[in-house]
Amino acid sequence: MKRRDFLKFIGAGGVGTGLGILFGQAIKPPGSKLIPYLIPPEDVIPGIANWYASACTQCAAGCGILVKIMDGRAKKVEGNPLHPISGGKLCVRGQAGLQSLYNPDRIPGPLRRKGARGTNSFEPISWEEALSEVTAKLKELSDKGENDKLYLLTSALSGHLGRLTDDFMAGYGSTNTINHDLFDYRNLRYANSAAMRLDAIPHYDIENTQYLLSFGADFASTWLSPVNLSRGYGEMRQGEYRERGKFVQVEPRISLTAANADEWVPAKPGSEAILALAIAKLIVDSGHYTGADASAWKALLAPFGLTYAAEATDLDKKKIRHIATEFMNTRPSLAIGGESISAYSNGVSGLVAVNILNHVAGNLGIKGGVRANDRDLFAGTRAKKVGPGIDALIRAAEAKEVGMLLHYNNNPAFTTPGTVKAAEALKNVPYIVSFSSFMDETTVLSDIILPANMSYEDWGDHFADPAPGYQVATLMQPVISPVYKTRSLGDTIMELGRGVGGAVAEKMPGGTFADHIKESWSKLYSQNKGMSASALTFERFWRDTLATGGWWPEGAYKEQKLSVTPKRVARHVSKEPAKFDGAATQYPLHLISYAQAGHLDGRGANIPWLQELPDPVTSVVWGSWVEINPKTAARLGVKMGDMVEIESPHGKIQSPVFLYQGIRPDTVAMPIGQGHTLYGRYAEKRGANPIEILPSTVDKRTGVYALNSTRVRILKTGRPGDLVKMDVSTDELGRNIVQTIAPGATGKVPPSSHH
Amino acid sequence: MSGILTRIKDKLKSYRVPGYRTKFDYKWTMVVDLDRCSGCEACVVACYAENNLPVVGKRDCDVSRRFSWIRIERYVEGEYPDVKVKFIPIMCQHCDTAPCEIGCPVYATYHNQDGLNVQVYNRCVGTFTCATYCTYDVRRFNWFTYKWDAPLEQQLNPDVTVREMGVMEKCTFCIQRIRVAKDTAKDEGRKVTDGDMQTACMQSCPTDAITFGDMNDPNSKVSKLAKSPRRYRLLEELDTDPSVIYLKRVMDDKKGSGNGHGSSHG
Repeated sequence: MKRRDFLKFIGAGGVGTGLGILFGQAIKPPGSKLIPYLIPPEDVIPGIANWYASACTQCAAGCGILVKIMDGRAKKVEGNPLHPISGGKLCVRGQAGLQSLYNPDRIPGPLRRKGARGTNSFEPISWEEALSEVTAKLKELSDKGENDKLYLLTSALSGHLGRLTDDFMAGYGSTNTINHDLFDYRNLRYANSAAMRLDAIPHYDIENTQYLLSFGADFASTWLSPVNLSRGYGEMRQGEYRERGKFVQVEPRISLTAANADEWVPAKPGSEAILALAIAKLIVDSGHYTGADASAWKALLAPFGLTYAAEATDLDKKKIRHIATEFMNTRPSLAIGGESISAYSNGVSGLVAVNILNHVAGNLGIKGGVRANDRDLFAGTRAKKVGPGIDALIRAAEAKEVGMLLHYNNNPAFTTPGTVKAAEALKNVPYIVSFSSFMDETTVLSDIILPANMSYEDWGDHFADPAPGYQVATLMQPVISPVYKTRSLGDTIMELGRGVGGAVAEKMPGGTFADHIKESWSKLYSQNKGMSASALTFERFWRDTLATGGWWPEGAYKEQKLSVTPKRVARHVSKEPAKFDGAATQYPLHLISYAQAGHLDGRGANIPWLQELPDPVTSVVWGSWVEINPKTAARLGVKMGDMVEIESPHGKIQSPVFLYQGIRPDTVAMPIGQGHTLYGRYAEKRGANPIEILPSTVDKRTGVYALNSTRVRILKTGRPGDLVKMDVSTDELGRNIVQTIAPGATGKVPPSSHH
Repeated sequence: MSGILTRIKDKLKSYRVPGYRTKFDYKWTMVVDLDRCSGCEACVVACYAENNLPVVGKRDCDVSRRFSWIRIERYVEGEYPDVKVKFIPIMCQHCDTAPCEIGCPVYATYHNQDGLNVQVYNRCVGTFTCATYCTYDVRRFNWFTYKWDAPLEQQLNPDVTVREMGVMEKCTFCIQRIRVAKDTAKDEGRKVTDGDMQTACMQSCPTDAITFGDMNDPNSKVSKLAKSPRRYRLLEELDTDPSVIYLKRVMDDKKGSGNGHGSSHG
């Protein structure tokens, strides 16, 4: 300490003490932090770690986690071993969550727009100012009688936060809650609801299946609930006391998940649904299906003959027949449908076809097949089925029908096709309020930003969807105090609601958001027999639940019959092919845009660990690439690392070439995640975003943008690219590094039988 | 095994304390089941978080300065459409006849009483010898003193040293966690058993591909897994005697290595 500082400290301290008596807590002496802990805060013992249970919010799966806290700082996240979803395990994004929490580019406090919209010119303001401004704007809109012009745009919010925002919107008098995530399984929900009358996503029991047929579900890295499904995958392969399950993946490229398959089936992009229906037809025709409606199925599936399917899918007839035989004869078997069957203009049809396949093979409602999940634990806390999609908001914004927009935690300016011009459309909205944590391409369009706490700093809860066959409610508690000047989103919403007054104020619960959650859980405790049987008093139950991380009636799985009828699905079964933009003569290659393990829909790109994490399949770091089959590359005259232009009818982007044997020669693929123009120092101006050149093709039934619905051509630029990959060679050079053993050579031997 | 190799191996062992093998308190061993491993890399990020590994940036990655103590290697076989992609996690193999140990002029890397190949940071003078000798390319050198952009440094694990420029480092089998487990066990008057500790990579692994434990304990899970007919060790013919045991991936890849590479060590 300098002498001058010392004097200042002494002086200020003296004055502070004096004024402190007058003004209470208003003025604190600046040197107060120098006083050592005479009575240390509870739970802080230097060098000793405390573990707090919470839920991971890096994706929607809702893994239970434990956060290691030392000296008030979060040090490490691990899976919660008691939790049925994570079982003590985590994925890359879950592990890297702390770099999102301690990210240097987080929005440090409330901001108000200063310059022109979208120019990233903001000034800091106080929370009081921010809240009163937004309240006034909400009142203004209400006074004009334009309550239904208020829009709320969030990712699907689970638990009480979702219900609170719904109540807020209902009380305010608007039905325009838009849930948007690039990968939010709207097609899957729609297809399951249409075919099986299931609202909640079912549990796909990979763990207990003997034959897994996956239509492009990349469950090892991003699909649905990657940690839970990967745990099941490990057990399916080498679990004790069982036979090793077989795994076949249908996908135009070898994704991380396809790399683990016993057989890779590269069906032509857009033909996956036909393949599924052709297999279903073979099963029905073989007499394996004995239901009363067998003849109706036969009639419905009649157009999907083997010859037709073989031609459409570009696969060998023998191969299709072989899959059908194994799929129906191995019991239990399971078919799942992921991105590469759903990312087309007829995506719902593909996923319905997967349901049909499961039905005729007899995989519905059985162990090792598709098992229904229980209904919601709390009414209205789970994300709604299929409401209006992001396309509805963009259309309304274009028509200047949006009076005010509340925005939280998603980035449509980055995750919607370039042709949609989402950012341009949103500029028509007179007033945008954002609760986001990072300045991304959408948040920059806001007029005011009220940054919310991250899940590690906040109360909350999460209801797993998909759950593992029984309800899983995970509690979140603040494991550290907020790193920046942020506030609980629940509290902000409640305060705004109360400020506006009227019907919306009546809908807002009393106290804080934390009080609201506790109160709501106490009601549930008294109603739910399982809960009230687990502890004598609610206080005891609450304490236990916070310690264990949540509540789940493990083993309470109830068998529930599931079925698909020809009548329900008839209108979704058609020979109409998937639509692709760009004539095949001019644009000869299909473009597959896929979620990358670390970045998902681009949200991981600002995390240094994830940028430096080699992509599991290509080993590329800090950038993007375009996967091209070496044969195609030779024809085009490009080699590994060359910068090329990828041109669709809707635009062009540049990316370095990655030569990959595991992709169809008529297809190229690009990962989603890079190409941010704004998202903090680690993400900005790095790589390219393939979504920019996609058409605005949607599946009309759900409004989901079809990611694989364009053809492209590749043009040489003659320049070297900026490809940095960690693998020098993918050839073992005879060193026999990854040793293999043929199935059946020793079979699968349970480890415990060896002693 | 040819005579000359045996002689070299015996010679290497004679540099150590007599009775070296039998005197280990623990014999820490890792078993990696390649049939479970999906290549998801959760272990890699878990290791970064646990062991304070710095992020070096794109340019340094390009010149192989990336600090992953555990990495996933991938091998692609065959041509379209008969393509197989195989993954293998590789970390320090904690060899019992470690090539790195004999090279170090300052004894910064040596074998400890648990059979671990350990690195003493404040002895290391950065000759790079060990990294040159290492068969598995798992040693990482601090070319610079790397910085964390504030407030990312608040995440740093206080149980693990933050290394500085000029120091060699590598996978420690999470020795800080072993330390805690051994201390706790000692206080309770027993030995460390399965379930007392997990390495960061093992704890994170969603498919349960990684198992860690004491080979001296016949009831430990690693002792049982090590008897699997799928067992092999990496580049075993070089006689480095690694403490990491891999279990072969079950795969119909035609040129499959089959049963020909059984192990001679237990």
